[in-house]
Amino acid sequence: MKALKNILIVFVCMGVYACEDVIDVDLENGRSQLVVDAFLSSDNSKQQIRLTKSAGYFLNAPTPAENQAQVEILGPNKQRFEFLSDGNGNFNYDPQTNGALDSIGFVYQLELTYKGNLYTANSMLNPVPPIDTMLVSFEEGSTFDIAGYYTQFFAVDFAGRKDYYLIKAYKNGVPINKDNPSSLILAEDASFIGGGADGFPFILPLRAAITDDEDPFAVGDVSSVELLSLNEAAFEYLDQVAIQANNGGLFSTPPSNIRTNIFDAAGNLQEEVLGVFSLSAISRDSILIR
Amino acid sequence: MPNFYALMKRLTTIFIFFLLAFQAFTQSNSFTISGFVKSAESGEELIGATVAVKSQNVGVSANVYGFYSLSLPKGTYEVTYSYIGYKEVVKNVELTENKSLNVELKEAVNELKAVEVTAEGAANNINSVEMSVNKIDAKTIKKIPALLGEADVIKSVLLLPGVSTVGEGSTGFNVRGGGIDQNLVLLDEAPVYNSSHLFGFFSVFNPDAVKNVKLIKGGIAPQYGGRLSSILDVRMKEGNKKEFTGSGGLGLIFSRLSLEGPIKKDKTSFLIAGRRSYADVLAKPFLNDDLRGSSFYFYDLTAKVNHEINEKNRIFLSGYFGRDVFGSGFVFNWGNATATARWNHIFNDKLFMNLTGFYSDYDYAFGVEEEEGQEGDDFSWASSIVSYSLKPDFSFYVNNNNTVKFGGQSIYYNFKPAVASFASDGLTNDISLPDKYALENGLYIQNEQKIGSRLSLLYGLRWSHFSYLGEGTKYTYADTVPGVRRSVESIEEFDQFEKMASYNNFEPRFSIKFDLNEQSSVKASYNRMSQYLHLISNTVASTPVDLWLPTTNNIKPQLVDQVAVGYFRNLAKNKYETSVELYAKDFQNQIDYIDNADIFFNEQLAGDLLSGDGRAYGVEFFLKKNSGKITGWISYTLAKSERKVNGINRGEWYPTRFDRLNNLSVVAAYELSEKWSFSANFVYSTGTPATFPTNRYEIQGIVVPHNVDQSRNNFRIPDYHRLDISATYIPAKNKDRRWKGEWVFSVYNVYSRRNPFSIFFEQDQDNPVITQAIRFSVIGNFVPAVSYNFSF
Repeated sequence: MKALKNILIVFVCMGVYACEDVIDVDLENGRSQLVVDAFLSSDNSKQQIRLTKSAGYFLNAPTPAENQAQVEILGPNKQRFEFLSDGNGNFNYDPQTNGALDSIGFVYQLELTYKGNLYTANSMLNPVPPIDTMLVSFEEGSTFDIAGYYTQFFAVDFAGRKDYYLIKAYKNGVPINKDNPSSLILAEDASFIGGGADGFPFILPLRAAITDDEDPFAVGDVSSVELLSLNEAAFEYLDQVAIQANNGGLFSTPPSNIRTNIFDAAGNLQEEVLGVFSLSAISRDSILIR
Repeated sequence: MPNFYALMKRLTTIFIFFLLAFQAFTQSNSFTISGFVKSAESGEELIGATVAVKSQNVGVSANVYGFYSLSLPKGTYEVTYSYIGYKEVVKNVELTENKSLNVELKEAVNELKAVEVTAEGAANNINSVEMSVNKIDAKTIKKIPALLGEADVIKSVLLLPGVSTVGEGSTGFNVRGGGIDQNLVLLDEAPVYNSSHLFGFFSVFNPDAVKNVKLIKGGIAPQYGGRLSSILDVRMKEGNKKEFTGSGGLGLIFSRLSLEGPIKKDKTSFLIAGRRSYADVLAKPFLNDDLRGSSFYFYDLTAKVNHEINEKNRIFLSGYFGRDVFGSGFVFNWGNATATARWNHIFNDKLFMNLTGFYSDYDYAFGVEEEEGQEGDDFSWASSIVSYSLKPDFSFYVNNNNTVKFGGQSIYYNFKPAVASFASDGLTNDISLPDKYALENGLYIQNEQKIGSRLSLLYGLRWSHFSYLGEGTKYTYADTVPGVRRSVESIEEFDQFEKMASYNNFEPRFSIKFDLNEQSSVKASYNRMSQYLHLISNTVASTPVDLWLPTTNNIKPQLVDQVAVGYFRNLAKNKYETSVELYAKDFQNQIDYIDNADIFFNEQLAGDLLSGDGRAYGVEFFLKKNSGKITGWISYTLAKSERKVNGINRGEWYPTRFDRLNNLSVVAAYELSEKWSFSANFVYSTGTPATFPTNRYEIQGIVVPHNVDQSRNNFRIPDYHRLDISATYIPAKNKDRRWKGEWVFSVYNVYSRRNPFSIFFEQDQDNPVITQAIRFSVIGNFVPAVSYNFSF
């Protein structure tokens, strides 16, 4: 519905009547909860899980780190991968020690012990298709577009299965749109319109989403893309993040809490944790603009 | 369907018995005067005109087609015909046999005097058993200052007691705590599924063609059914039967033109009325090349013909077509189309029938076209609801104390949730969802009975039946776990017209009125309503792409029980009307959505829906001044509207998004002179509820809002208030010309209040660690406008 929202904004702004102001609101602060930010990949590079505590909404500072926990991933053949605290809320694992988390099709389990409770979450490592090619084209400026080089990536979704993806884009190694949470690029099979695109090439709006409309590429820049496989829970989680992080205006939906995939193993629902555990395989490509 | 037929048979038997019983009551020595009450200027039927014989203390009012029937013993009578804004006519009638008498009333040129003349006939609000009803005529709608000077039916309805909205610029309206899909909006008896242009800033009715608007919020008579909360009955003009006239205007948004006149004097007339926005035409020279091909306009067209075949038969044909079109590399358009054929037949002096057949359709299309140099990529999506209906309605004027109405309706629906396809890099795929079909039937009988001079009753029953039909796939879902998508347990295929699920409901209706004295009465009513259509919309304001879906084996029919009591009093010879009404409503099977519900392109949508209960109660105060230099009304509503849904707000009651405790509207028009008149309205209402976070946490550097208590609508956004004014100037030279023009100057939101539509929360783009609350105002400034209206 983002397109619809944009159309409305265009028309209402034509009248220059709609407006947004920052205002003061008194909010009650709720109790603090453990937050697990566990996006891992099958890469050989350092893997990190971040533990923090939720805080009052208007904290306006980074939320506090949590170090008092034990974090492990359970892999094939009951292999345990231990994540070690660095004292700043980060729990790290170096694949050089015991190998990468790279058994495609295996359901990895997060085991987190916090305040004497065991929390677990599952994530299947789904395969990811290769990026076939990238394309650069120069676009003349127009009313809504800035002149510059625009890139696209081409990949084909796996046929015969439901796949979920996260697409990350970089300009010279820096994430594009990095401060805009609603710019998370998510795909369900090869599209964002639900089913129907199984086994298809990624649709144009996704292929072209790797260029920042407000900051296209120039000669000498490097455009790179990462295609990450997700499972359904992680996809829905991120989809909700994108919606909830910017949910205003005429066509906003009722704000709601994002459902975690991390549960108390003993079924004790008194102290819920927030966040998500997701394991991805990644395809990469990049292109130099010349 | 053996049960269905058995029931039909039983009902028919009851009907006939009922009729015979009433026939027996009819005195054999009495005769009937019947006919139509019309305007002498245009030949338009005067809906609700009063026909009275004062000496006998009897009176009736004309029905929506201007037909009346009055029975009296043999004798000579003075029969008085009256209607607001028209000169009273008194006819001497010698009644020795049944008589047909059509009467034309002349419009009172000077309105101020006119109202004095007819003020006595205007006590309808007290005498009638109807309650919770508001009527607005086209003149009043045009007087109310409007956004960008565009007189608007729906925006005028918002000023009535018991009516609210989620906010400025949003589609539809909420009546007594009901959702926007719970209003049956009728355009010449055909339902309109989306009443908005431009996402809700304007409504689809051309005020030049509107004759009469009636909003029924409670005590809903058995003749109406299909929606829970209100009936908005919009009647378009039939077309001038006497002479050719035209009217129109140039506004900032629309230019309008309507033409009407006789095809054959007093027998056949037509009306054609159109509006089109023209911002795109004006903007064209200023657009860059790449936007030249873009479109941005909306229009509507009403066309009507009616023909009086003879004294006993008249036919009316009407059509409406309206569309919003936006596009620039994409296409996005939506609109309604309705076609109605009506046949009035007078069987005899006492039995009147109207048979309506209609077609009504709402559809939208969204698509992205192939770009140059990017062939092989596109997307198109269309969706619609199409309905066909036949609806016979009979009025049987048994005697002056009993008017029996009975009839039925059958509607066949075809829902097309998605006709869609896309192409990616040259590969195309059809992603359409299967059509859904349904049949809705209703039968009703009601009697309006006067007992003595003070007591009136309206009682009756509506029986409604709904079948969800094949061809289609019937899904059965696992039990509800609050807030979690339900999985499909079984799938069953059905053939064309095979019944997949069916429901029926008995809807008793009852109203009572008791006159305390000449100037005041008390009324009470109870109604049960059922609704088999559901507007699937999870956004604050409804969007044009929201889907209408039928009741299925998974989605249960919505039900409501409403009781209302009221006190009605007129003052100073009906110069002032006042009323106080209390109501309470109990809703069942209200739809809500799980978090992350997929509304579009989801064949298993029902798995994402939640079902809950609702309740609403309130008190409405209304004071209306009908005549004098200043006219207008004050309406104040104190109300509450709540929902309870397993899986939302911990399963506890929470206020609906359109719940507003206080709702005040002041509408005033002032006639200064023949040249100048002024009007103003002021509205105040409590802010709507909103869900605010209590906490924040970070995921991948993104700040996520979180409500630790899982509350829904736990805060209120600030109150809404607004003042609008307008001035109308009628040049003096108008007097002697056929061409009459007027200028309307208006200012909307005079003191530039930034009324919040919503408050939402986001990260500061420049410093992501900072989170802030944003007040979003749809209109943040005063909006001046000028328009020119003419008639000839």
